[in-house]
Amino acid sequence: MKTLEEAKQAVIDDFSMYDEWLDKYEYLIDLGKNLEEYPEDQKTEDKLIKGCQSRVWLDSKVEDGRLFFKADSDAIITKGIISLLISVYSGRNPKEIAEDDFGFIGEIGLKENLSPTRANGLVSMIERIKELARESVGHEPQGEVLTAEDAKELAPLYDNVIMAIKQVYDPEIPVNVYDLGLIYELVINKKHEVFIKMTFTAPTCPMADEVLAEVKKSVADVPGITGCEVELTFEPPWDQSMLSEEARIELGMD
Amino acid sequence: MTINDIRDMFPALGQQVYSRPLVYFDNAATSQRLENAVRRLDGLALGANANIHRAVHKLASDATEEYESTRDAVRDFLNAESREEILFTSGTTASINLVAYSFGETFINEGDEIIVSEEEHHSNIVPWQLLCERKKAVLKVIGIDDEGHLKIDELKTLLTSRTKLVAVTQVSNVLGIVNPVKQIVNLCHSMNCPVLVDGAQGIVHVGVDVRDLDCDFYAFSGHKLYAATGTGVLYGKKKWLEKMVPFMGGGEMIGSVKFTGTTYAPLPGKFEAGTQNINAVPTLKDSISFLSMINKDDELQRELRSVDEYMYSSLSQIKGENEVRLFGVPRGTERKIPLYSFVVQGAHHEDLALILDKMGIAVRSGQMCAEPLMDRFGVTGMVRVSLAPYNTMAEAEYFIKSLGKAVSMLA
Ligand SMILES: Cc1ncc(COP(=O)(O)O)c(C=O)c1O
Repeated sequence: MKTLEEAKQAVIDDFSMYDEWLDKYEYLIDLGKNLEEYPEDQKTEDKLIKGCQSRVWLDSKVEDGRLFFKADSDAIITKGIISLLISVYSGRNPKEIAEDDFGFIGEIGLKENLSPTRANGLVSMIERIKELARESVGHEPQGEVLTAEDAKELAPLYDNVIMAIKQVYDPEIPVNVYDLGLIYELVINKKHEVFIKMTFTAPTCPMADEVLAEVKKSVADVPGITGCEVELTFEPPWDQSMLSEEARIELGMD
Repeated sequence: MTINDIRDMFPALGQQVYSRPLVYFDNAATSQRLENAVRRLDGLALGANANIHRAVHKLASDATEEYESTRDAVRDFLNAESREEILFTSGTTASINLVAYSFGETFINEGDEIIVSEEEHHSNIVPWQLLCERKKAVLKVIGIDDEGHLKIDELKTLLTSRTKLVAVTQVSNVLGIVNPVKQIVNLCHSMNCPVLVDGAQGIVHVGVDVRDLDCDFYAFSGHKLYAATGTGVLYGKKKWLEKMVPFMGGGEMIGSVKFTGTTYAPLPGKFEAGTQNINAVPTLKDSISFLSMINKDDELQRELRSVDEYMYSSLSQIKGENEVRLFGVPRGTERKIPLYSFVVQGAHHEDLALILDKMGIAVRSGQMCAEPLMDRFGVTGMVRVSLAPYNTMAEAEYFIKSLGKAVSMLA
């Protein structure tokens, strides 16, 4: 698969073959006609992109940590535009999509050459793609395919990260957040970015923000780690059965 | 006079878009401006610029003269009985909202009924919905048949003793058919119900004699009539305007202001609160003289008719796989203004407009501020081509050829 930059360059190259905008439209129409079919029964209201003059449906799914799009429109040039976006972005890491600036659209002059209503439509399409990508970030590392080498390489990092998390204590109970069972998910991807999903003993914890920041900092300081994201969740709610063996002993519960 | 002579009066027509000569076919949205109108606007802004009515100095009296002589010209143009029945507004939308508020506050009560038609512009729907919400009144709708004619028979059954106003368009901005407004007015008056006519499109191609039509209100915009933007007119019968409460309060609309109670100025001032569009309103005089000039030029009218006929017959003849479906098909002696809304089988309206744009042709696509009408015909939008007296046969031929090319690109 091409890298994101290569895919963008390919579109820029394709577009630059034509001088006239009529020919560029012709190219977009072709792309539109060849876009993979979108099932009629999935053209539902929630898949419609708001802000386009024509109707545009966009749907996505995460597979193996990558985000795939499919789309349709009743207007063929719009369909060509969305097809072009899909050819560049579909099948990529959601984080990469969410963080992209989509600047190459400006480079091919697409936005400037659309009617204002359609230019707004294009902006809405890009926004929707980014939104779907953002929603998928955090779900994505679990799906990453790890080879045996990868797993071996990541194993010591896991140990060190857990050690780092164990440095952070609950503000009310004298047990660290790891042994308290507050860490619901811990994933390190191939780029050595850490994704943590954690909770608190009660949704009203007044120190929540400080604790989250502390976890993040402590993990980010682990040598070899390139980034850390901590997501707060209360699903499922924490209860005492989540305490580790050490914590139970510590608290004299057994 | 020929169409080419007319073109010389509209400097904007000489420009190129994407290195092609501009073909401007979106006149129903807004027309191009008369050079005379722009020069007058300029002259007033840079010369006789003073607030009207309020001061005794020379500039103020010149500006007032320009403004008030426009009222006389419009009165004459519409054949209204008196100049007090001519109110200046910012356009059709403002005119209709004025009536919806002032007539509504004065005459509409809970359970009363207002009737509009299915082919109205949003401007002649939403103000009535707002009024109905405010007053707990009921909005009823006259339907349209498959060819785009108002179902007058339905109006007969909708009209009741509770109907307080009927608001219909003289010509729909989508269908282009000249509605039988005279028949509607007679019918409504036989039930003692007043009628507002939306003349935004009608004034441009048909004109009006408000005394002959006997309508109670008539609204139109200057910008579709070759004049400056932000100008418009509301004609209202004196017997209504006198009773209606003011729309906006402010300067100029008052008799005397006291904290114990304020009295209002006599008509038309009562409805012209605040500083008016004093530089622009006088450009309506240029529209009026332009229209009277072209209307009496038979040679020009013949030439315009032949362009119109060519467009209509060419579009009607596109059959087969990519058939053109025209909306608003006149029957018998019915008139249609040179405005054609259509869909092409197998080609989306927005795609067509976009490709035509690159060919230098400006057309409209989408719902055209008439969503209920789009729903009525089961389409998400249409392409609309609307002509003005400066559109030539050569432009029409180029358009028909370009449309064919655009369709073949898309099919
Ligand atoms: C039939 C009709 N009514 C009302 C309007 C609203 O006119 P304006 O936007 O000038 O107020 C238009 C213009 O689009 C129209 O065509």
